[in-house]
Amino acid sequence: MIKKPNIAIISLTCCEGCQVAILDLGERLLKLTEKVKIGDFAMLEDYPEPENFDIVFVEGTPITSENIRRVKNLRQRTKYLITIGACACLGGIAELKNYQDKDQRLRYVYKNVEGIDNPDIKPVKHYVKVDLEIPGCPINKEEFLDVAKKLVAGVFPKIPQRPVCYECQLKRNECLLQKGQPCLGPVILGGCGAPCPSSNYPCDGCRGPLKGAAINNFNNKLKEIYGFSQREIDLIMQRFGMLNDMYPEPPAIKGNLKVNKLID
Amino acid sequence: MKIKIDHIAKIEGHAGFVADIAQGNVIKARLDIAEGARLLEGILQGRSYNEVSQITARICGVCPVVHTLTSLKALEAAMDVFVPPQIVLLRELMMMGQILNSHALHLFFFSLSDFFGIKNDLRLIKKYPQKAKDALLLRDFGNALIDVIGGRSIHPLTPEVGGFKKFPTHKRLKELEEKSQRAISAAERLAKFFGQLKYPAFERNCQFVCLSFPGHYAIYDGEVKSGKSLETASDFMPKIQETQIRGSAVKRSQYGDSLYMVGALSRLNYNAKNLNQRAKAIFRETDLVLPSSNPFHNVLAQAIEMVHCVEESYKLLKKAEALDFEIDPQPFEIKAGKGYAAMEAPRGTLFYYYEVDEEGFIKNANIVTPTSQNLARLEEDLKEYLPSLIGKKDICQKECEEKIKMLVRAYDPCLTCATH
Repeated sequence: MIKKPNIAIISLTCCEGCQVAILDLGERLLKLTEKVKIGDFAMLEDYPEPENFDIVFVEGTPITSENIRRVKNLRQRTKYLITIGACACLGGIAELKNYQDKDQRLRYVYKNVEGIDNPDIKPVKHYVKVDLEIPGCPINKEEFLDVAKKLVAGVFPKIPQRPVCYECQLKRNECLLQKGQPCLGPVILGGCGAPCPSSNYPCDGCRGPLKGAAINNFNNKLKEIYGFSQREIDLIMQRFGMLNDMYPEPPAIKGNLKVNKLID
Repeated sequence: MKIKIDHIAKIEGHAGFVADIAQGNVIKARLDIAEGARLLEGILQGRSYNEVSQITARICGVCPVVHTLTSLKALEAAMDVFVPPQIVLLRELMMMGQILNSHALHLFFFSLSDFFGIKNDLRLIKKYPQKAKDALLLRDFGNALIDVIGGRSIHPLTPEVGGFKKFPTHKRLKELEEKSQRAISAAERLAKFFGQLKYPAFERNCQFVCLSFPGHYAIYDGEVKSGKSLETASDFMPKIQETQIRGSAVKRSQYGDSLYMVGALSRLNYNAKNLNQRAKAIFRETDLVLPSSNPFHNVLAQAIEMVHCVEESYKLLKKAEALDFEIDPQPFEIKAGKGYAAMEAPRGTLFYYYEVDEEGFIKNANIVTPTSQNLARLEEDLKEYLPSLIGKKDICQKECEEKIKMLVRAYDPCLTCATH
């Protein structure tokens, strides 16, 4: 156990909703702050930063070169670096432009594009080693509290690999997929408490893919059984920057010629 | 002389401040905004009408409700979708929750410490435990309103074009009604407390802008009032000129030639006569004289609005008791069109514009946020305010820096909104 660990909650470019979720722990957050030292939490204090941290939680997407420098610098100054939220873990909505003509998008928004960074959006783990990811848009604050408490107690937490359907069924929700809605629940990492399908809102994958899920199979079922087009499916999977994680390689289509791999 | 503040904490987003001063004259005063460009309006192109409001909610984690709803209103205007009164009532309730949860955060956690020179809210909470409890209770009440109706307090899930994906039960609305009783006392205590704070003196010439609706303290709907002129959102929004500063991802807005302020103080200046009873009573107890041109009074105006919003929530919840929400969704036709919408966000008037194609995909989008409108005005204020802070010696020491930050925070800027 770390004695009064020095923690920081840092945001790169994002909506800061994950920080707000943490604030919404209210009195439970205050209780937690008795056991930790707050090294940096810009929503709550205005002090200079300490030299080193024990745990740094990072929300947001690295967009500006300053964002990238910042996250690399933080990595060197902390024992644990934990990303929180879809932006930091997957790329988030900022990553939508990766699937579009991003230069056209930049020119559409800004007449004068000089000096505005417009890189391909990559999650934080692309730039630095990440010790744990707490996914979601926004994060589930209960899950955050659980992770934080475990870390303070010296236990390294793990997010159980279960699909969203697991919690959705415990809530006895009617299955949206069976009703013909494009719910990604079966292939998405749970732990959120299934708030979306509980609100008749089909899961759109903000927590990213479940490890080992049969994505291609699921994708084809959405088309064959439920009649969705690939465009409709892609639009949903792009939403939180997940499409490239779902299909690191383009999906294999039966009957197509296989590309010969180079033999070394 | 140069003044440089690298980082202003306790605002939504990241910003610093720079100013150039020569012999008592402020040549430049500017907020340095460090947010990355997320290209929101750009990435909406080619996306479907049934998902864009979920994407725009992500502009801001503090005010996702107003982004969701204003986006929906613009889509409804573009496709001529009728929105039944029950739906409007539920949306208005969500907006009360939005203003309450945002104001509670800003008033207690961001702004209050400026009045006592405390830099850490954890110490502030120890010093004023009852006030902290009241602020948290009001934030919780605001969140509960959004959660019960929207399915989640941050990035709500149920609102959709024409209605809701799921309706709250009357039982849960009744629980909110009961909760509102404790919330009203908390709001009154907090507003009285803010009424007794000492606000720095700073009067300047300023145009105010907000929505106005006869007989209402306009939030969800209304025409845009600016001085004596009254225009619809579709007339006003195209006249907003957005300008860019080289290398900055934030645009500054003005209306024609004039800079203006939006937000709680604008609303109070124009619409105080329509405040609910208890909010009006609290307002009368304060020394505030309207119209006020002191931007620091924006803080007090927010505190008075909290009382109004809790009262309004109670009134709306009472009305909701008799309503049947389980109506069939309104049929509408997906068609090409253009639509403008405006709503009062916690920080001021928020504008949305969409052009939709015949299949319901976005062709063009524009979003003008409260902070992007306030920014130019705030920088002008800083320019006017600085000389009184630096005195004859042209130096900006700690106290001067703190006052700069205090003025910035009084505007309650949201830089993630402004950048979007």
